Amino acid sequence: MLLDPGMDLTLRPMRYPDFYERYRAAIRNTWTVEEVDLHTDLADLARMTPQERHLINRLVAFFATGDSIVANNLVLNLYQHVNAPEARLYLSRQLFEEAVHVQFYLTLLDTYLPDPDERVKAFAAIEHIPSIRDKAEFCFRWIDSINGLRRLETADERRQFLLNLICFAACIEGLFFYGAFAYVYWFRSRGLLGGLATGTNWVFRDESMHMEFAFSVVDTVRAEEPELFDDKLGEQVTAMLEEAVAAELAFARDLCGDGMPGMSAEQMREYLEYVADQRLVRLGLPVRYGTANPFAFMELQDVQELANFFERRVSAYQVAVEGNVTFDETF
Amino acid sequence: MTQIVEADRRLAIEEAAARVIADPANSRVAARLLAEEIADEAAGHGVRTFSESVAATHAAGLVQDSLAAFVAAHAAELDALARDEADDRFEYFGLRTVYDRYLLRHPETRAVLERPQHFLLRVACGLSSSVAEAAELYGLMSTLAYLPSSPTLFNSGARRPQLSSCFLLDSPRDELEAIYDRYGQVARLSKYAGGIGISWTRVRSRGSLIRGTNGHSNGIVPWLRTLDASVAAVNQGGRRKGAACVYLETWHADVEEFLELRDNTGEDARRTHNLNLANWVPDEFMRRVEADEPWSLFDPKDVPDLTDLYGDAFDRAYRAYEEQGRYVRRIPARTLYGRMMRTLAQTGNGWMTFKDAANRTSNQTARPENVIHLSNLCTEILEVTSDAETAVCNLGSVNLAAHLRDGAGLDWDRLRGTVRTAVRFLDRTIDLGFYPTPEAEAANRRWRPIGLGVMGLADVFFALRLPFDSPRALELSTRIAEEIALAAYDTSADLAAERGRHPSYDDTRAAGGVLHPDHYAGAAGSPRWDALRAKVATTGLRNSLMIAIAPTATIASIAGCYECIEPQVSNVFKRETLSGEFLQVNRYLVADLQARGLWTQAMRDAIKRADGSVQDVPGIPDDLKTLYRTAWELPQKALIDLAAARQPYIDQSQSLNLFMASPTIGKLSSMYAYAWKSGLKTTYYLRSRPATRIAQTTVAAAPAAPEVTAAEAVACSLENPEVCEACQ
Repeated sequence: MLLDPGMDLTLRPMRYPDFYERYRAAIRNTWTVEEVDLHTDLADLARMTPQERHLINRLVAFFATGDSIVANNLVLNLYQHVNAPEARLYLSRQLFEEAVHVQFYLTLLDTYLPDPDERVKAFAAIEHIPSIRDKAEFCFRWIDSINGLRRLETADERRQFLLNLICFAACIEGLFFYGAFAYVYWFRSRGLLGGLATGTNWVFRDESMHMEFAFSVVDTVRAEEPELFDDKLGEQVTAMLEEAVAAELAFARDLCGDGMPGMSAEQMREYLEYVADQRLVRLGLPVRYGTANPFAFMELQDVQELANFFERRVSAYQVAVEGNVTFDETF
Repeated sequence: MTQIVEADRRLAIEEAAARVIADPANSRVAARLLAEEIADEAAGHGVRTFSESVAATHAAGLVQDSLAAFVAAHAAELDALARDEADDRFEYFGLRTVYDRYLLRHPETRAVLERPQHFLLRVACGLSSSVAEAAELYGLMSTLAYLPSSPTLFNSGARRPQLSSCFLLDSPRDELEAIYDRYGQVARLSKYAGGIGISWTRVRSRGSLIRGTNGHSNGIVPWLRTLDASVAAVNQGGRRKGAACVYLETWHADVEEFLELRDNTGEDARRTHNLNLANWVPDEFMRRVEADEPWSLFDPKDVPDLTDLYGDAFDRAYRAYEEQGRYVRRIPARTLYGRMMRTLAQTGNGWMTFKDAANRTSNQTARPENVIHLSNLCTEILEVTSDAETAVCNLGSVNLAAHLRDGAGLDWDRLRGTVRTAVRFLDRTIDLGFYPTPEAEAANRRWRPIGLGVMGLADVFFALRLPFDSPRALELSTRIAEEIALAAYDTSADLAAERGRHPSYDDTRAAGGVLHPDHYAGAAGSPRWDALRAKVATTGLRNSLMIAIAPTATIASIAGCYECIEPQVSNVFKRETLSGEFLQVNRYLVADLQARGLWTQAMRDAIKRADGSVQDVPGIPDDLKTLYRTAWELPQKALIDLAAARQPYIDQSQSLNLFMASPTIGKLSSMYAYAWKSGLKTTYYLRSRPATRIAQTTVAAAPAAPEVTAAEAVACSLENPEVCEACQ
């Protein structure tokens, strides 16, 4: 079973080909930070209101450390316990992607904050800015929750692991990051910060995959050990999401202050509740809030992109392509 | 108080724009609100009428004195022409594009100084010498029946009226000074919103001896890196970044490194992230690919005449050089072809353009010294170049959708009328334009080429319910091309009678009695072509080339139609541009589903979840599924067949994108070999799709996946993983 302790090395026969396919799909989507042009954003930043600047600075400060935290949990907890080599291939790839995201946000910070002291402050936000510190502490608490576990022997230990996995997928990648992306797309909907939005599209694509991978691990464990998924686990997951929504809402209040046209803490609350419900549904749990999505501009993220190449780099290409020259295939 | 009203209106606009999927009518609602906002903004600078707007833009130093004088002299007549209610024809995305990018703005306040209709009338006046002329062109533009290309929309009537879209520069000569001179030319041309095509075929390859220093050349890559940086540095008036495409002939010894220039892996010192790449492919190469023979790569320094030859002369010279052993090395032709296909799949770049087809049929290549060495940034222009002549093209496109009669096909008379007006005004731009380099001016005055294209073909097919791959679609598309060519040539012959032939007319194939369709069996057999040929024999032509199908990315947005000859990419998609992201929904599909009572929230979610495809959405009738296939779902052979059938009537070329969701080398190599055999002169992007995608946030989540047991999973991996549904 997937959570049985050990370091399985057998790839044939492959137990979980879906994980392997996810690994291959992720490789086809390789992108590099150098492809993103952030300098076009500087003119937009110069035009912003103090309130908008505050929002952006806080957001950058959150991004500065967010992906590093996810990478740490991946190394310290996930890789150890998900016992299938094809799943570990995916996690290795995910680790690389987290590194690219860290590099992207570092580049963003260096570009947006030309003053070295400001950069230091942004990284220190995790200690000094309460709304960011609280989110980080939430993450660290869940990293630590299973850090002492070397082997998942008992059902309870496995449930503890599942809670960690679900926390990082549904609450951190699937809620904290989703909240942060929504601010970026709000700017984008007003024609601002196109460079950040381009990079965010690609980060968003990766994060979506990470979350789906984690959920498919959950699906697999559910199929193998349905008894782990008792009511208590469901209650714990719901409570955890409630806590995450509260933490992200506090962050939103800090970012939005009294609100701006089209973006306020109240709207963000609705959005977070809406997203949290989606995570619960995906996990087979009842919805908690029943709130509708308030952000029409997020509809834009759900559909195919068609860029005018004069204007923007197209992010829709794949990296690995296979096959040989022939003349008789249909097209 | 006003500020609150403005903020509310802006929010209402954004809300309406984001809800276009629920009901496409929201797009017009948003557009109308935006039109109000624009009018208020212009009023802030005292602009209400057209003549006031020209006075304001003139006072701000944005438009020519001559335009200001013309408008002042005819203020009342012109003010009566501008009709604000024509704004109602705009979809939101179109009007927003006009507002963000085209309307002239006050240099300091950045507020707009003209309304959308003022802008269109200003463009028309900039190209006219009388009110009647201005009215004629404005009438076409305000009904969105025809739009000139973006440079003309940007700059008509401006102080520096650079009206041309494309510039094609021959390869620099193989020497330092010539290369640096080209960088300067590229920068000057780029500054005024032109797209650049440039060949690099004459520059020596890596390892070639440099006599002056007794060192060895590093090949073309370092030069192209410099070009890349130079192009990125030029910002086209804040409107868009500079853009260029480099062409390389397939026998150049650096071709493999060239194909890697856009990879996002490997050594960054050998990458050019901003340049587009195109292969200038001789027939001999494709023949050797077919026959699985070796291909020889040469240093152009050793074979300097190859790039100036095509057809039999090229084949003879190429083979002779091979026999003399002058090549740098040889590789299997299929190996190189496979790499070209890989580059297309991985970057969409490395466009396949065909040197012999381009030259063989061109009106400009009657004399052996006149050779086409490359196409342009969008692969629709094919014109001769040399060191002394930089080819130029002025473009405009007819919106076919605006020529539909209610349910009864196209209004052919009106289409011909539009073409006649369009050709006259395109010809006019040649004389009125400002040329950033003397080489460009020299070429344009001698050859006077124009590029009239189309947009909205997909709208016509949807409206007439013709699937893209149906025989009737092919027949109609070909007839459209033929009608446009006949009317365009006839108008150019009239212009020649009125104002004279273009100066290099005697150097063209037309002077020898051969028109473009004559190169294609059976394409110009009708009496109408005979009559035209007889007319041209007496009048000559005012323009050496007339038809080119440009991509129309931006002007199709303004006109609210599908781009040029392209199929739709999705029934629901997002457009990313410099001014933001915008939702687009196929309004023909929505109307059909609304009529059948099927346009529900569940239906919208299902189509979004299927990425804008209707093929697997339950409840959609089969006839609609067939009609509303996307570019990813249509056989690409049909797109190539449509393009090949219209090629006789396209004397330059067409920006033909091809689409393949998951490309393989096998499928691509078959497809491009077919395109070559069909006689296409050029192809454009290969569009493919990301291997993974963003999770959808606004579609109801699909519940937890059905359980897959361990036993099923094992069975799946052992059998055929590609078709195993348990894993999809």
